[in-house]
Amino acid sequence: MSSEAGVIKLFFREAIARAIREEMTADPRVIVLGQDVGAFGGSYKEFLGLFDQFGPSRVRDTPVAEAAMVGLGVGAAAAGYRPIVSITYMDFLMLGLDPLVNYAAKARFKTGGQITAPVVVKTTAGAKGQGVAHSQCLEAWLMGVAGLVVVAPSNAADAYGLMKSALRHDGPVVFVDHKRLFPTAGEVPFAETFTPIGQAVIARPGEHVTIATHGYMVRVAGEAAGRLAKTGVSCEIVDLRTLAPLDVATVAASVARTRALVTLEEGQVPCGVGAEVAFRVQEAVGGVRVARVGALPAPVSSNPVLEAACVPDAGRLVQAIRRTLDA
Amino acid sequence: MIYTLTVPGPIEDVDEVRVLEWHGAVGHDFAVDDLVVELETHKALVEVRAGQRGVLRAIVCAEGDWQAVGQPLAVFSDEPSEALPASTDDLEMLVVEYEVS
Repeated sequence: MSSEAGVIKLFFREAIARAIREEMTADPRVIVLGQDVGAFGGSYKEFLGLFDQFGPSRVRDTPVAEAAMVGLGVGAAAAGYRPIVSITYMDFLMLGLDPLVNYAAKARFKTGGQITAPVVVKTTAGAKGQGVAHSQCLEAWLMGVAGLVVVAPSNAADAYGLMKSALRHDGPVVFVDHKRLFPTAGEVPFAETFTPIGQAVIARPGEHVTIATHGYMVRVAGEAAGRLAKTGVSCEIVDLRTLAPLDVATVAASVARTRALVTLEEGQVPCGVGAEVAFRVQEAVGGVRVARVGALPAPVSSNPVLEAACVPDAGRLVQAIRRTLDA
Repeated sequence: MIYTLTVPGPIEDVDEVRVLEWHGAVGHDFAVDDLVVELETHKALVEVRAGQRGVLRAIVCAEGDWQAVGQPLAVFSDEPSEALPASTDDLEMLVVEYEVS
């Protein structure tokens, strides 16, 4: 622990719990709804301590009923609360899309601004051995919903900072973390800090190609960049952090220098995050080489060999970058 | 003889741990099965118990410190007054039992 240096190392789950605890302390309207969020402390222990500190009226266990959970959260938000609804698997967010998309996202449009729904739907995406219906990354599906903010931290510091920003945002936010981020730890600012919504960051500076990515894939990009650096190829990694609204300017400024863009996501390629990023950057910069890397067009099996084949890894990204630069 | 107590493993999905609590100060003589230290992983607690008798001589990782699996947490010896070496490299590992919960 080096508080003198201004940072403290926390597990990814602790960074989330810290953000929620701070916001629940600051604002009595913040409540948590979800399966196993109470005494159990969360499926990943990401709500540990909140039930003891704030009690069952503010940290509420719900049954396995995602449509009702999201609906309850949206209604509570419209009535003046600031709820977090925890959807343990992003796959099951599908069950809550109607209240999220048709009510939360549209509330301020439908009411001329009189009603907003400041609800944070926190959900965990990604493949990690749990099979076809517990592995999906669906964040691209949400990016085109007017009125909906979508954020995706890649590390503990941004998990903390983006959760804080999400809880202060005056509208619905989907906060997408990842199963494979929970075993990680990272340095988080000791002082109270907000990561701005709508702002990407250069995770690794480079010259020859821009990799635009988010979430757990930022680590895969880092691994690929490390391998390529040994062969003289310098990769710049842009961590998108917010998917909607997308920070096109940061990616475009990078690609204006590197003249090559490879997007990387764990989700599907068709109409994926990369499709939007690639088009917007090409529109802004023009005449650059572009490629997209994502999951193979198949459901992700619980068989580890098939899962590994389906989900992008550093090797596949290295190949895509080489093909793009050689083109 | 001098030993290092290292972070036990392998533990599934765990690369590094944080020291939660030492259950004895420097100088304490641990018997077999005594709880020596508790470690935190990203989702569980690890109880490390002595698998052999030993005296805790130096703490390398204090409470709140992070350490990787297989790396040193502390230095032990059979007798309390054995001279300690300058580094923990090449020391024999203290036998421990550990439980992840």
